[in-house]
Amino acid sequence: MSGANSRLAVFPTRMTLSVMKQKLKGAQTGHSLLKRKSEALTKRFRDIVRKIDDAKRLMGKVMQVASFSLAEVTYITGDIGYQVQESVKNAQFRVRAKQENVSGVMLPVFESYQEGTNANELTGLGRGGQQVQKCKDTYIKAVETLVELASLQTAFVILDEVIKLTNRRVNAIEHIIIPRYENTIKHIISELDEQDREEFFRLKKVQGKKKEAAARDTLERESRQAAEGHVDEATSKEIETEIDTGVLDAAMAEPSDLLGGDDEDIIF
Amino acid sequence: MEALFYNADDGYLEAIVRGYRGSILNNTAYINLTQCETLDDVKLQLGASDYGSILQNEPHMSTSMLAQKCTDKMVQEFEYIRAHAVAPLQQFLDYMTYAYMIDNVILLITGTLHERDTHVLLDRCHPLGVFDSMPALCVATNVAELYNSVLVETPLAPYFMDCLSAEDLDEMNIEIIRNTLYKAYLEDFYHFTQSFGGPTAEIMAELLQFEADRRSLNITINSFGTELSKDDRAKLFPNIGRLYPEGNLKLAKSDDIEQVKATCDVFLEYRQFFDNTAAGSSKTLEDRFFDYEVHLNKKSFQQQFHYALFYSFLKLKEQEIRNIVWIAECISQGQKERINNYIPIF
Amino acid sequence: MAYSRDAAGGGGYSLVSLYPSIAISGLGLVGLYMLLTGSGEQFNVGDFLLSISPHMWSLLGIALCVGLSVGGAAWGIFITGASLVGGGVRAPRIVTKNLISIIFCEVVAIYGLIMAIVFTAKLNNVQGADMTSSETYYKGFALFWAGLTTGLCNLVCGVSVGITGSSAALADAQDGQLFVKVLVIEIFGSIVGLFGLIIGLLVSGKVN
Repeated sequence: MSGANSRLAVFPTRMTLSVMKQKLKGAQTGHSLLKRKSEALTKRFRDIVRKIDDAKRLMGKVMQVASFSLAEVTYITGDIGYQVQESVKNAQFRVRAKQENVSGVMLPVFESYQEGTNANELTGLGRGGQQVQKCKDTYIKAVETLVELASLQTAFVILDEVIKLTNRRVNAIEHIIIPRYENTIKHIISELDEQDREEFFRLKKVQGKKKEAAARDTLERESRQAAEGHVDEATSKEIETEIDTGVLDAAMAEPSDLLGGDDEDIIF
Repeated sequence: MEALFYNADDGYLEAIVRGYRGSILNNTAYINLTQCETLDDVKLQLGASDYGSILQNEPHMSTSMLAQKCTDKMVQEFEYIRAHAVAPLQQFLDYMTYAYMIDNVILLITGTLHERDTHVLLDRCHPLGVFDSMPALCVATNVAELYNSVLVETPLAPYFMDCLSAEDLDEMNIEIIRNTLYKAYLEDFYHFTQSFGGPTAEIMAELLQFEADRRSLNITINSFGTELSKDDRAKLFPNIGRLYPEGNLKLAKSDDIEQVKATCDVFLEYRQFFDNTAAGSSKTLEDRFFDYEVHLNKKSFQQQFHYALFYSFLKLKEQEIRNIVWIAECISQGQKERINNYIPIF
Repeated sequence: MAYSRDAAGGGGYSLVSLYPSIAISGLGLVGLYMLLTGSGEQFNVGDFLLSISPHMWSLLGIALCVGLSVGGAAWGIFITGASLVGGGVRAPRIVTKNLISIIFCEVVAIYGLIMAIVFTAKLNNVQGADMTSSETYYKGFALFWAGLTTGLCNLVCGVSVGITGSSAALADAQDGQLFVKVLVIEIFGSIVGLFGLIIGLLVSGKVN
């Protein structure tokens, strides 16, 4: 992956390191959360797919029965379509939409209900009224199935979108963002190590120089003391060594700390 | 005596109708039709019949198209007869179209009541019920105007005048209006046919009485559990038919199907309608009505020199179209197990 | 005539049914008038019949013979023809076959024509005293009644053949097998005319 070796263009400092570590940690938490969300959605998605399958099969049957019952009506009463169309004022069968929250995704749910009295109660009074009513009931059932299917289908589409999005995010975090942070951290650490080593070497060098200078001084002083006396030599030497060891210790301690911190981070 | 003078005016048309009757699909044709797998097969099978020519130029078969074409064909035949008919037969044929006219006018009234564009509805009216001044009805914008133009423009005026007022159109349920009109029409038609005497009166009496009884039974059964009160129901029963008056009174008081059954038990022919134990009990009540209607209509072709056969022909043709559409519907919807529910005619 | 009634006008029907009673009451009035004014003996049927010339009787017989026969034939032909034309629209094959029904009707007219010719041969001019002889009267009456018998028989026969022929045409249009069966009935119908012909011949046979 292109992201495998990429890293953020940051200045390798301890500050950035800790920021990076925090970001990494955040990314990993986010990753696990998104992963869980996507799993929940996928589960729901599969449920819906199964339900859609059932509903579609059911719908096939119901629609077949319904259209056949219409054929029966046509057989007995003739074409009553226009009559019925013309005598309708208000919709009797209505649909209302609700929202359902699944793992933070709002899914619309359609609900059907009937309102008002049976408007076509007397249709086909003189001929085939029973068939008309039967046909009407069958069609109401069919439309109910359709409404159910419609809400499932909408949920299907929305969930599909959301799952794709979530999965893309999960993958992005998993394969790009986390490696990038890790790379950056590694880079910072190695840079810092490098700096430490440089520092150490520099200190050593300084120490060496200082020792040389001290030796030279001592020689000079000795030579001068030889002229003036042996009084200050011991104290000055003690101070010099103390400084040296302090710096060294600090330099040595830090990388081990870093590594330790790193490990913890990785484990989480 | 009919034989002596009938042919002078109506012999040609009678023979023509008998010719048309000969082209009604027979049992073999139906068996072939039920064997079809697709609508194109149906088209192929119908190709040998009268419907062949009208379906020839239709590239895409659909059941609605089939129904449309077959109805057109029927109307065309009827119009031919009507165009050649003279005085009494002409009026008889006009009477036959009043039934469809009632449906059309009701459709227009419904449209006007709900303030739809009634001009669109003109195309949707049954072609047999079309009359010249029908577009004039579309001009009316409110019910009172419509009522007046119905009275002026349509042959249905007497029925409207006797049964309904302009306020009724507004207030009553449209189905009740329809059935009130139909009742008046049936009674009028009945008395008209009885004035002919002879075989016409005899056969038409049987046909129209059955039609009236069927309506009474249907209205009774269909009004169970609806807002239609028993008094209103009784008003819709035609005052002719074998059930009238005693049976109609009983029907008016019925509360369930059992009581209807008890009413019909007195009549041998009507008893079978409610007999569910007999063979072929998958048939519904409507199917049995159709069965009996076809039987009666077939019988009217057994006599010569009367007008009832024009009526019977139209009814048989309608049944045939229903059958064809039913079979086509079963084939296109893959419901082969119920394909045999059609009513064979000859 | 059951179909003549115009259903729109109930008055027409009652007027038609009134015709016979108007005629009867009219005749009754004239009869009563003659009786009451003392001229009742003028109402003498026998005298009236005798006062008509035997020539008149025989020629009237011939005219009725051919006229009624042709009327019967024509009536039969129009009954058959109307059905035949209509039936032929959907089943053209019946037209030529069913012309036989038309011919049967036509035959009836030929019977009448033959008889009229036979009767005409028996006509001769009678003059003077012979005019009132019983022989002459016999000739006149025989020819009249022979002609009337033949004519009426042929009229009814023509109508009967016509109606059967119409049914034959329609039956044939429906089912070709029925033609021969109905034709047999039609033949029996057409024989009826022959009966009238025979009796007409016998009645007029005594005339020389």
